[in-house]
Amino acid sequence: MLASPGTAVDSHCPYCALQCGMSLTRPRTDATAAPEVQPRDFPTNRGGLCQKGWTSAAVLGVSDRLVTPLVRGESGELEPVSWDAALDLVASRLAGLAAEHGPESVAVFGGGGLTNEKAYALGKFARTVLRTPNIDYNGRFCMASAAAGMNRAFGVDRGLPFPLADLGGAQAVLLLGSNLAETMPPAVQHLAGARAAGGLVVVDPRRSATVRLTGDPSTGQPAEGVHLAPVPGTDLAVLLGLLHVVLAEGLADREYLEQRTTGFDDVARSVAGWWPERVESVSGVPADELRRVARLLAAAAPVHGGAGAYVLTGRGVEQSTQGTATVTASINLALALGLPGRVGSGYGAITGQGNGQGGREHGQKADQLPGYRKIDDPAAREHVAAVWGVDPETLPGPGLPAVQLLRSLGTPTGPRAMLVHGSNLVVSAPNANRVIDRLKSLDLLVVCDFVPSETALLADVVLPVTQWAEEEGTMTSLEGRVIRRRAVVAPPGEARSELWILAELARRLGAPEDLAFPTDPAVVFDELARASAGGPADYSGLSHARLDADEASGGPGLFWPVPALPSEVSDTQVTGVTPASDTGEHPGTPRLFADRFATPDGRARMVAVDHVGPSDEVRPGAPFYLVTGRVLQHYQSGAQTHRVAELERLVAEPYVELHPVLGFRIGVPDGARVRLTSSRGQVEATARWTDAVRPDTVFMPFHWSGIGSVNQVTTDATDPISGMPEFKVCAVDVTPVPAALPVEPVETHLDRPDQRGERDAARRKKELST
Amino acid sequence: MNLRVPVKVVVVGFGMVGSRLVDELLRREPEAFDITVLGSEPYEPYNRVLLSDVVAGRTDVAAITMPLPDGARVSVLRGVTATSIDRESRVVTADDGSTHPYDHVVLATGAAARIPPIPGLRTADGGLPAGVHALRTLDDAREIVAATVNSPRAVVVGGGVLGLEAAVGLAGRGLSVTLVHNVQSLMERQLDPEAAAVVRSGLEGQGVTVLPNCLSSEVLVAGGRAVGIRVKDNADRVSTGDGGSGQRDEVVAARLIIFSVGTIPETGLAAAAGLSTDRGIVVGYDLASPDDPRVHAIGDCAQPPNGSRGLVAEGWDQARRLAETLVSLVEPVNAPVEPVGTPAETVHLRLPHDGAQPSMAVRLGALLTGGASRAQSDRGIDTRGTDVVKVKAGPLSVTTMGVCGPSRPNGLTQRAVRLADPRAGRYIEVVVSDGILVGATCVGDPRVAADLTAAYTRRTPVPMDPAFLLLTPVMQTAAPASSPEHMPDDAVVCRCNGVTKGHIAESCGSGAHTVEEVVRETRATTGCGSCKDAVCGLVDWLKESKEAVPEPA
Repeated sequence: MLASPGTAVDSHCPYCALQCGMSLTRPRTDATAAPEVQPRDFPTNRGGLCQKGWTSAAVLGVSDRLVTPLVRGESGELEPVSWDAALDLVASRLAGLAAEHGPESVAVFGGGGLTNEKAYALGKFARTVLRTPNIDYNGRFCMASAAAGMNRAFGVDRGLPFPLADLGGAQAVLLLGSNLAETMPPAVQHLAGARAAGGLVVVDPRRSATVRLTGDPSTGQPAEGVHLAPVPGTDLAVLLGLLHVVLAEGLADREYLEQRTTGFDDVARSVAGWWPERVESVSGVPADELRRVARLLAAAAPVHGGAGAYVLTGRGVEQSTQGTATVTASINLALALGLPGRVGSGYGAITGQGNGQGGREHGQKADQLPGYRKIDDPAAREHVAAVWGVDPETLPGPGLPAVQLLRSLGTPTGPRAMLVHGSNLVVSAPNANRVIDRLKSLDLLVVCDFVPSETALLADVVLPVTQWAEEEGTMTSLEGRVIRRRAVVAPPGEARSELWILAELARRLGAPEDLAFPTDPAVVFDELARASAGGPADYSGLSHARLDADEASGGPGLFWPVPALPSEVSDTQVTGVTPASDTGEHPGTPRLFADRFATPDGRARMVAVDHVGPSDEVRPGAPFYLVTGRVLQHYQSGAQTHRVAELERLVAEPYVELHPVLGFRIGVPDGARVRLTSSRGQVEATARWTDAVRPDTVFMPFHWSGIGSVNQVTTDATDPISGMPEFKVCAVDVTPVPAALPVEPVETHLDRPDQRGERDAARRKKELST
Repeated sequence: MNLRVPVKVVVVGFGMVGSRLVDELLRREPEAFDITVLGSEPYEPYNRVLLSDVVAGRTDVAAITMPLPDGARVSVLRGVTATSIDRESRVVTADDGSTHPYDHVVLATGAAARIPPIPGLRTADGGLPAGVHALRTLDDAREIVAATVNSPRAVVVGGGVLGLEAAVGLAGRGLSVTLVHNVQSLMERQLDPEAAAVVRSGLEGQGVTVLPNCLSSEVLVAGGRAVGIRVKDNADRVSTGDGGSGQRDEVVAARLIIFSVGTIPETGLAAAAGLSTDRGIVVGYDLASPDDPRVHAIGDCAQPPNGSRGLVAEGWDQARRLAETLVSLVEPVNAPVEPVGTPAETVHLRLPHDGAQPSMAVRLGALLTGGASRAQSDRGIDTRGTDVVKVKAGPLSVTTMGVCGPSRPNGLTQRAVRLADPRAGRYIEVVVSDGILVGATCVGDPRVAADLTAAYTRRTPVPMDPAFLLLTPVMQTAAPASSPEHMPDDAVVCRCNGVTKGHIAESCGSGAHTVEEVVRETRATTGCGSCKDAVCGLVDWLKESKEAVPEPA
């Protein structure tokens, strides 16, 4: 399976959804030594790599890599055991719990970093072997609102319904709540065209690295765009205001609205009450800046002869209790300008996790079956059950979405056991203290990971798995392109693929012979393809072999839907795409919606939405906004990147960005320790003064555990439609961390008790006065 | 299954506040109310706030149409005017002869434009002569827009918010505009004289001629059409030495004259029903009439104990609060469901739940009242944030809130700091109390105005030195290095790969000679590529300086 030493193998970066192309060369020495990483020319990264990508091979050989199954022993410590022992234990405990409390007492938590094959197998395992409805994944934390909004408007959810490189020709790009200069740096190349046209508009409460791409007034260079800095939690008001201006100034694409959408009248009326001055009062964005941006976008729209415009959203606006509404408002704006479905224009959501797109298509979502089918759709159940060789009646219905699922763990009616795959919940879930409490209350927690993550350390059983360059499979990038991940090195120790683990568990749990859990990823993919046939995300025309052949021949890449036979495809998906006649194969669908949307009548649905505001609004006692985000050097919970010295050296500790005006006010100098307190918990970190945040807002990246784990403070209030938690804004108090008592050498300071009492009193007094 | 008998609510008036109330009720309890709305205007509901934008040509008339209530239990009768309320039998009668029984009636009849009693202003049939308009209804706005075509000159009487908006809007259409105001200070309800002077300069900069301390004494009419207006000094003002120097008495020729000299609350229906009225319909903090707990008034027609400023945010806030009260009456209770006919005194005197976290639906649209403040004086009712005034006058930015203008800061507890920069058209005053912004005036700086509004409505703590509020506070930054020589070694050149100037210098020093070699060694430029020029420049400079200064042997 492995490439021979010294041969470069084309694969992709293990981290974000950009899935930068890289070639990996196995050293000649030994099969498990880390391969050499070189960037390669691939449409998303064009030969670029960020520091995470360059150093990604270091994660393969980290010193604390999990290389053997671990079971919590009598001592309370995790102790190495054999695979047989670990799997027998897991299987017998799961069987016992299911027998006693019913199948729903076992939950499964997946991840957006798993390959398509693993995500598919996990969903199948939960529905057919465990027969539990309770499976969801950490994509609920990142893509659920975009997915809900796109499905509702377009009838299908592919993050970017166009190739990323299309952005290059745009005259304007409106980027809401995305800091891609930090999170996927090579993607910045695709903004060059818009920047050159002065058309990059970034909506972010902070002056982030991405915002700085719009121009820096201090350089005297002409601006390459506009920064709108709304008060946290008010992006939706900004969008409603932009649409208001588009309509008030007669800039909408009337013909497009007439021909390609429904619901425009309701939406138009709904924004009549959001005139720019009102939006200014709510969002803090000056009315004239809104007008300017609306005009800039309209000028770039095809209807006004522009070269094209895009509206793109990221987690900053989606991780909100009104995330789905915000995505909907973004889509409404794009539709009013006539963008979606036109080459060189459109709406898109920038997927975050490596397989954040594929991870939401193959059935690890609570309400979903493979092919992006709905689990409550009888036809979908029938089709998938037939592929799996089970009775549709035996498939469970929809389960709880992630936050609700986590909340229910260990409660009288909730699951008593959970299997976690590719997710470090202790750090990455909101209101982390509650999550930790719930995980601890489980009868059985099984974590599959390749490093001892904070979540793995809580587990009863830890199973070591393969990662990235040790495995074969496919990923689906942020643009819906299905790509190959290839094995270059052998996994260390006894690490095994989840595909094998699931097969072994299925066997031990008494799954019938014909309920297959193949372990060859290519075989799993073929089954996934059959299961997806006819669904919105149709992979049935794809196989590992076809993907390999396309890549080898320098083909343009394959974007779903790629149905096996054009005639089998539901016509709402791919009308207008002609099969490559010479091969009889469907060529894939780089651009969706050219002629129709994937709705029953082919029209995009415009849905009126309104601004509500954040669930946790500032108030006396919690008078400041906290926004969270990422830094370039770390990825998600940091389970991988904290283990890479080169990255850890640059951003070694958590920090809080605050404005000097706030620093003076609360007595927190630059570099001092600062504490953030919300009604859920508190966190401490080093203060960094910067005027890149509003004086009413502090920013903290979330990549750390322990006292610097900001998700102890964030709220787990969720969007009513998508179930997505409101990571991005909550109300906090910001205070100095009281100086610790100096550590006093015992031999010289044997305090009498009365003296100690005095000092404690003095310290308390000092705390009160600060 | 809802077994409650729906509460019958009749809303009189389908303007911005009446329709908002319906919306607020439906969001909370779509099934609990049978709602009848009587609207005298024949149109669909529209955004009255934007009429001045229509005049200014800033908005398409079609874009100001507001949503229609969406509910099975709502019936909206447009072009139907309520003519009487029989409180005894709880029935509203309309001009089409229809009758509408109610459990609660809400008067949202708004206010009419005030037209001063001066000669020439009333035609024989009691209407206004052609060319003379108020700016209160969609018809007014449409007629004004139509009139601009044949009226090169316009006069706006009244220098309040609406007058300013109209004057700037018409000037923007290319009309020659004269603004007549009865006192020296424009917007004297919101601005102190110094701020008003800056605003006046700004107006004049927009080409508007301002005549302060002047009264319109007569409208000159020819052939049934206004042709000009006679303007005199406001004698009161002149005699008190508050302004004008001479005895002005002149005629300003204009075929378009707009009166924006205030409004008169529509109280007729209430008065005829025997309800207390003063300037407006008298209501308590609970927005119910003291004479009848089943009659409520909100918006411009109402006169609550804390007064009314005629701002839409205030009316919307009242709509929200009244909706909460009405919903609380139908809230399912475990005890026997409160019958509709219960003597309502006790219920109606209940104030909105103090401190309770509002539901999502409640906060929907209650945008300007985000704060949790409550002033002592209004018995626990939070109206903060409803008094933000933003003048919609294109390039002229005027924003006021809270303590401003004639409501001068209380020197004992409130601290006022100001920045006066009249030459640049800028004037900013902030009033701070207890670490919170309690009022502000901001002319000529939209960025600061937006920040002040956010701080005021959310009650975020202000800087230790309130003077920071007067500017957009930025940190001192080093000037961009003019040459690589002045760059510190730790300056990051390539963000994507964390490469500093020092790293590049080190790479050059240790033998790398070409950009390609430096790139291979440091990975600079290999992320997004934006730093390519900087890296090339740096390598060139390093090479040159190396050649210039030979390394010590």
